Amino acid sequence: MRKIINAPEAFVDEFVEGILLAHPDLVKTPGDDLRVLVRADAPQQGKVGIVTGGGSGHLPLFKGYVGKGLCSGVAIGNVFSSPSSQQIFEATKAVDGGAGVLYLYGNYGGDVFNFDLSVDLAELDDIPTRTVLGRDDVASQPKERKQDRRGVAGIFFAYKAAGAAAERGDTLDEVAAVAEDVVEHTATMGIGLAPTILPTTGQPSFELPDGEMEIGIGIHGEPGTRRGPLETADEIAEQIVQALVDDLELTSGARVAVLVNGMGATPLEELYVLYRKTHQILTGLGIEIAKSYVGEYATSLEMAGASISLLELNDQRLELLNAPAKSPFFEEA
Amino acid sequence: MDATDLNENIRRSLALLIESADELRDLDQQLGDGDLGITVSAGSTAVIGALEQLPADATPAEIAKATAKAFANANPSTMAALVAGALLAGSRVWADKTEIAIADAQAFAAAAADSIAQRGKTQLGDKTIYDGLVAVAEALVDQTDADTAVDAAVTAAADAVERTKNLQSRRGRASWLQERSIGIADPGATALLRFTEAWRTARRSG
Repeated sequence: MRKIINAPEAFVDEFVEGILLAHPDLVKTPGDDLRVLVRADAPQQGKVGIVTGGGSGHLPLFKGYVGKGLCSGVAIGNVFSSPSSQQIFEATKAVDGGAGVLYLYGNYGGDVFNFDLSVDLAELDDIPTRTVLGRDDVASQPKERKQDRRGVAGIFFAYKAAGAAAERGDTLDEVAAVAEDVVEHTATMGIGLAPTILPTTGQPSFELPDGEMEIGIGIHGEPGTRRGPLETADEIAEQIVQALVDDLELTSGARVAVLVNGMGATPLEELYVLYRKTHQILTGLGIEIAKSYVGEYATSLEMAGASISLLELNDQRLELLNAPAKSPFFEEA
Repeated sequence: MDATDLNENIRRSLALLIESADELRDLDQQLGDGDLGITVSAGSTAVIGALEQLPADATPAEIAKATAKAFANANPSTMAALVAGALLAGSRVWADKTEIAIADAQAFAAAAADSIAQRGKTQLGDKTIYDGLVAVAEALVDQTDADTAVDAAVTAAADAVERTKNLQSRRGRASWLQERSIGIADPGATALLRFTEAWRTARRSG
């Protein structure tokens, strides 16, 4: 195992400590638990709070999106494990500004379990909550089971839009509706070229022979829904973009935001090669790209690979994407 | 039972339940992480304190909510959160009540059981507290005499604990033991049994 770590079991606490030390102007821990991070200026009085959370190993997801115009707080689990209901509740209390709290996180069993428990804890504290699940991975379930899809990189769009809505003073129901609307119009698909190595086990999450790739991967180092020969960047882009365009039923004249996301070990250059073709395909279909993001937005430790996400835009969604935001890992001026 | 009696009986029952903390800790050490003892003792102590602070005109629903909140925050654990959610669900069916009849206790137990099933993603036979709660809720159906009803609840909870001994744990840490969990009573169902016993004793001494 070649990793820059100390004791594997201290990995999560130590990188969170690093984030806190590096960005004291942006984030803080409200209590003693390093696994709960909130905006440095939380709570925002009179504004809706947004709490997210999930396992570690996905930076900038989830803790990287705590900041102005994004999420207000995050509960942090071990690598690829859910945070506890109590940690989620601590984050909830710390960001509650009297207007309620939206729970916005990816659709995974352990996270749903613990966030739902925290819904009850919050209600006992008279903090109203709403829940919206990121479920953008088109490879994880067919369209008729869209509600069961898992959440991957595309949740970034929901953070951005819901965070902007909360910042401008929308009510809890309105912020939840914005998040749900964005999730509904987001689709993502990813491919993997090399596995993840868990710090605690030191073992690769799957074996992949040279010349092959996993198609339809998630963000937990898991294999995809199928394996195929490693294709060129253009062929990969064609395959993914076609699947996304079909899923969102995009036609000529549509407007989209594009996110080309690296899984952790793929260089930015390769992501731009992917973006190039993605842009050409969409433009060729008469689809306008109003906003584009290229970089690492949701990773799977050192997995090699990439995902492409599309968000179908309308005026409201675009306005919310363009609103200012600032977190340790993302800024929209 | 009016709100004042309810408040008093909960406090007296939980004072008795704390005496079972060591037994629950030992059982939970065999199947889980052993924190059920402290969850029950710290939770009960916190609830007693919280209910003492409630105003005299607190309604049964407010008493149930205060119980849930104190229990959840005393020793935060998944079990504490599940129980708190169950009590919250129960408090909702008491929304307009000032007196708690047997049918209201039954509705409370049924709502609590539903909450555990939903929040805990559990079903009958998974060897959890849910097995006990369902049995208690069923035992309270159509009861007319309070003493008989409480006896029936205790017997149902005890039978449920016996049944869990032959089952394999399917939820939580205990499920990792797989077939090694067979032969050991479920700690959550046992905690419910000890609570029903404590409730009976508290009522009769009250």
